[in-house]
Amino acid sequence: MNKNRLFVTFCGVVLVALLLAACQPAATEAPTAAPTEAPTEAPTEAPTAAPTEAPVGETYKIGFAPAITGPGASLGDPEHQTGKMLAEKLMTEGVVGPDGVMHPVEIIIYDTETNPDAAVSVVRKMIEEDKVQVVVAGTTSGVSMAIVPIATEAGVAYISMASAGAIVNDPETGAVREWVFKTAQDNYASAKWQADYITAMGWTSVCHIYQNSGYGNDTFKQATTAFGEAGITIAYSAAFESAATEFPALAEVGTSGCQAVVVGAIPPASSTVSVAIREQYPDIPIIHGHGTCNQDHIDLMGSDVAEGMVSPCGKVMVADTLPDDDPQKEIVTQYAADYTAFTGKPVNTFGGHGWDALMLAVNALATLPDGQDLATQRAGVRDAIENGVTGWPGISGVYNLSAEDHFSLDYLSLVFVKVVDGKWVYYPQEEWAK
Amino acid sequence: MKLSATENRWKSLRMPAIALALIAVILYLGAQKNFGPVQYAQFIADGLRGGAIYAMIAMGFVIVYNVTGVINFAQGAFVMLGAMLAVTFHEMEMPFSPALRLIVSVILSIAATTLIGVLVERLTIHPARFSSPLTLIIITVGVFITIQGLALLVWGPDAHIFPSFTTLEMADKVFRVNGVVIKAQGFWIWGITAIVLIWLAFFFEKTLLGKAMRACAVNQRAARLVGIRFDRMSLLAFAMASALGAISGIIIAPLLRPSFDIGLNLGLKGFVAAIIGGLVNPVGAVLGGLMLGLLENISAGVTKAGMRDIYAYSLLILTLLFRPQGLLGAKKTAVETGGESRA
Amino acid sequence: MKNLSRLFANTNAAGWLALTAIVLLMGWIEIAAPSGFDFADLSGGVITMDTMVRIAILTVVLVGLNLVMGYAGQVSLGHAAFYGIGAYVSAIFTARGHSLFGVSQSVMASWQWPWFVMFAGMAFSTTLAYVIGKPILRLRGHYLAMATLGLGIMVYILFRENMGVQGDHITGSYDGVSGIPRLRVGEFEIWPISRYYFFAWLVALGVMALGMNLINSRTGRALRAVHGSEVAAQAMGVDVAAYKARVFALGAALASLGGSMYAHFQAAVSPSPFSFGGSLELVVMSSVGGLASIWGAPFGVTIILFLKEFLRSRLRVLLSGASGEHEIIFYGLLLIVIMIFLPEGIVIGAMKRWKAWQARGRKETALSEGGKA
Repeated sequence: MNKNRLFVTFCGVVLVALLLAACQPAATEAPTAAPTEAPTEAPTEAPTAAPTEAPVGETYKIGFAPAITGPGASLGDPEHQTGKMLAEKLMTEGVVGPDGVMHPVEIIIYDTETNPDAAVSVVRKMIEEDKVQVVVAGTTSGVSMAIVPIATEAGVAYISMASAGAIVNDPETGAVREWVFKTAQDNYASAKWQADYITAMGWTSVCHIYQNSGYGNDTFKQATTAFGEAGITIAYSAAFESAATEFPALAEVGTSGCQAVVVGAIPPASSTVSVAIREQYPDIPIIHGHGTCNQDHIDLMGSDVAEGMVSPCGKVMVADTLPDDDPQKEIVTQYAADYTAFTGKPVNTFGGHGWDALMLAVNALATLPDGQDLATQRAGVRDAIENGVTGWPGISGVYNLSAEDHFSLDYLSLVFVKVVDGKWVYYPQEEWAK
Repeated sequence: MKLSATENRWKSLRMPAIALALIAVILYLGAQKNFGPVQYAQFIADGLRGGAIYAMIAMGFVIVYNVTGVINFAQGAFVMLGAMLAVTFHEMEMPFSPALRLIVSVILSIAATTLIGVLVERLTIHPARFSSPLTLIIITVGVFITIQGLALLVWGPDAHIFPSFTTLEMADKVFRVNGVVIKAQGFWIWGITAIVLIWLAFFFEKTLLGKAMRACAVNQRAARLVGIRFDRMSLLAFAMASALGAISGIIIAPLLRPSFDIGLNLGLKGFVAAIIGGLVNPVGAVLGGLMLGLLENISAGVTKAGMRDIYAYSLLILTLLFRPQGLLGAKKTAVETGGESRA
Repeated sequence: MKNLSRLFANTNAAGWLALTAIVLLMGWIEIAAPSGFDFADLSGGVITMDTMVRIAILTVVLVGLNLVMGYAGQVSLGHAAFYGIGAYVSAIFTARGHSLFGVSQSVMASWQWPWFVMFAGMAFSTTLAYVIGKPILRLRGHYLAMATLGLGIMVYILFRENMGVQGDHITGSYDGVSGIPRLRVGEFEIWPISRYYFFAWLVALGVMALGMNLINSRTGRALRAVHGSEVAAQAMGVDVAAYKARVFALGAALASLGGSMYAHFQAAVSPSPFSFGGSLELVVMSSVGGLASIWGAPFGVTIILFLKEFLRSRLRVLLSGASGEHEIIFYGLLLIVIMIFLPEGIVIGAMKRWKAWQARGRKETALSEGGKA
């Protein structure tokens, strides 16, 4: 009998809690950090209005859904933090339209759980219930692909933070998807940098070891193309399990006679496999891809092991050692400082993808005149992104979007870096020659 | 079905024949890739190391299953907790030398995980002890999900580091024997697994408490009739399983870069190892674990590394189809013989 | 069991009609939105048409699982594999049929092709399940659970590894297959989502009716006999092995059907929903709703999906600053609680408690019905 009484009481408690929650209006994420920076990101915002005199229009809404949980959480967390970092400032200062009306901008944050079903559900909700003007979502490519049809049918601009080419270009026809954009550099650019370095060092035969994931498989595919174009032979290639502690795949590295090992993985897998490679082959040169561009990669293997490893990287990781005339230097340095101040952790390129996507959305919203209806606003945002982004320095690169190119981050958006004393250092082409 | 003498002789040759055929296939595939004895030795060494971890996790499964009849899906969560708690304790400020700090964090982690295991048993298993096996499975799944969610909340999604036991830093001491690379951590893993196995064998054979637990495994009702308190045995079983899980997590932590989600895969593989061993006693668990680690690693090495899990689960399926009682189990327990229940 | 079947005999048909009425009503409200009102406003964004369609699709899958687990008593921890097979077969043949297998463009563009593929997928799943089921279903309890678990994971890995072939042209590896066309009948396209809602529920209600008919038929009685005691059933002349394999095959067929419906709904499939986690969710929904009950299927799905939606939108109000991690913890805790207090599932558990509550105070004799609750 006690069990029954306990059960009824429990049900009662839960019901009361549910009712209380249901009666409150859905609130957005309360910002958790005190506002830290006084200087605004200068080149990105529309001219800020005079404090209190500008008329205030409706609140614009950006639907933001990174992967906060699930397997993609380590990539989605920096994006999530970046969103939270921008949220408060956007709510108070907002954007000012061409007619001088100030619109606060609200970032509504959801979690895709790295699951396409959850992502579709959440994006539909953003579009239909929250009535957002633009969608920024999708940390991983699989999830982004599921969102594409939803955004396209609803006529809402969708900016993905993932890297697969198929997100913006239909793989069957090659046509550009009208409503979709993305802000992550792809693996082809990364592979080209690796090919250039290999050629400069005089190697002709390499091994390619990659992680068994979407990212890893894609690095291998792009490497095959890029290395083939440069005349480099991949003597041996193998995949390894992301959480592996044993690496049987490395046995053939020795027997294949390759001169360097190219690794396609992200931390922690990139770190564990690097340690394994160093243990078996203490001298072979190791080249990584741009997915390793965060401090974790080095820390997880120890700076001794990491010493001397090279890879292409987004500029934000080496902000302080970039040359002063680099168009992105100011903005990446600012972002790195802001991010570290807000989260207490070192800056991360994935956070940069999130920042670019959100700022593209914000800048597009700033072009909208006041008083339009939702459908017109959504179309307006899309047009603004497609036509109005020329030579815009973001964190991941300099964007030049057009009707034929919804992506535009190429070879030049990356730089080559090397690990020295446990830190990434800018390693320009001039210094490569042996 | 009585077989004649000659047929019996053929039947007893079945297992060796299969083993030989398998070795032949492996050697053939390896020859395609120009593997020599060095590579095979490497596969064997690494496979036995991974297998030892599966063995420890499997021992936890076996103990709980034998005493309580519960398939504990939360075992993987204990492994993860062991590793993550060790990392956390190790990162704290302690006025000790690095070696002592390592030892202290290990002990604290095992203690904390055992405590959590006890709480899990009291709060979730004990109230449901009369429920059907499926219900209990789902409850342990719920426990696993909850613990993993809490881990994500507390530690975030990032991976962490734990120093190797020999050098007390990330880079481990490495032994090269004729070209085969063996990490020092491997010896720790084998050594600790062996010690645990010996201790468990002693515990179950020689001590009164151990014998009481075995009595519950054999026949619950009879055990109760001679005065053994079942709920105490259940508690002890879970405490032991969580301690074992914690130890597995800790000894593999230097190799693995622990994060909140390492529990699922390790737990499942440990489970497979337990089944292969026969779910009967810790020795079976160790045999099952070593066999799983070995076969999985060699097969993945001579073919495609991404197929590793397929080999592991194929081994499971083959075991269940052809020898469901595992290596050490009795023939009757696994196949449907008409609804016999456990006490 | 006897009490329950008497209870359900008359209410089944009535319940089914009631559910049909509710589905129609909700569909009409969402579309017509009388005076600007729709369910989203009422529930604070929890109930949307998207959710309702997913409930219908998963109900189809779960009716199959309930038959296998609840009525035939066979544990299946790999059911998402069949769900995935249906989804991938539909996806590959309708989106990549031409580039992969040389299916002519005109056939690909015809409206009959996706339907044909859907049924072909079901046939394939059924056959596969029957062939695998025969040897596997000899195993008992935990061993069967492990076998289905292992098989489920292997199928998931095959999806993820492009069937073991280098490249990603078959299943698309991690990124999956996209560009799946919508279903059409002649010129009538079953899209936008409001049309798909009615289609999905049509199938779901049909499958439920099928299930209820099956339970009350000779086959159903044979199933329940097998669940009760295989030896006794065998002694009474029931071919136990055949029945178990057949039910398993039926469960696979329904899961495959659900998978195809899912593929045409999402227009893109990727491996993650069909992993071990996916199978586990199906088992959880089944258990929460009630294994030994066809009604357990829609109830179980509804409760779990509502719960997830609710947590997604409301939890940050209860605990400000909360996000995804809190949802997971809550979900796990709720699972534990429901399994401890209502292990037979909400449907049967609720009915029992209702009866017990009704029977309180009445004198209990050995012959009264209330005695067993």
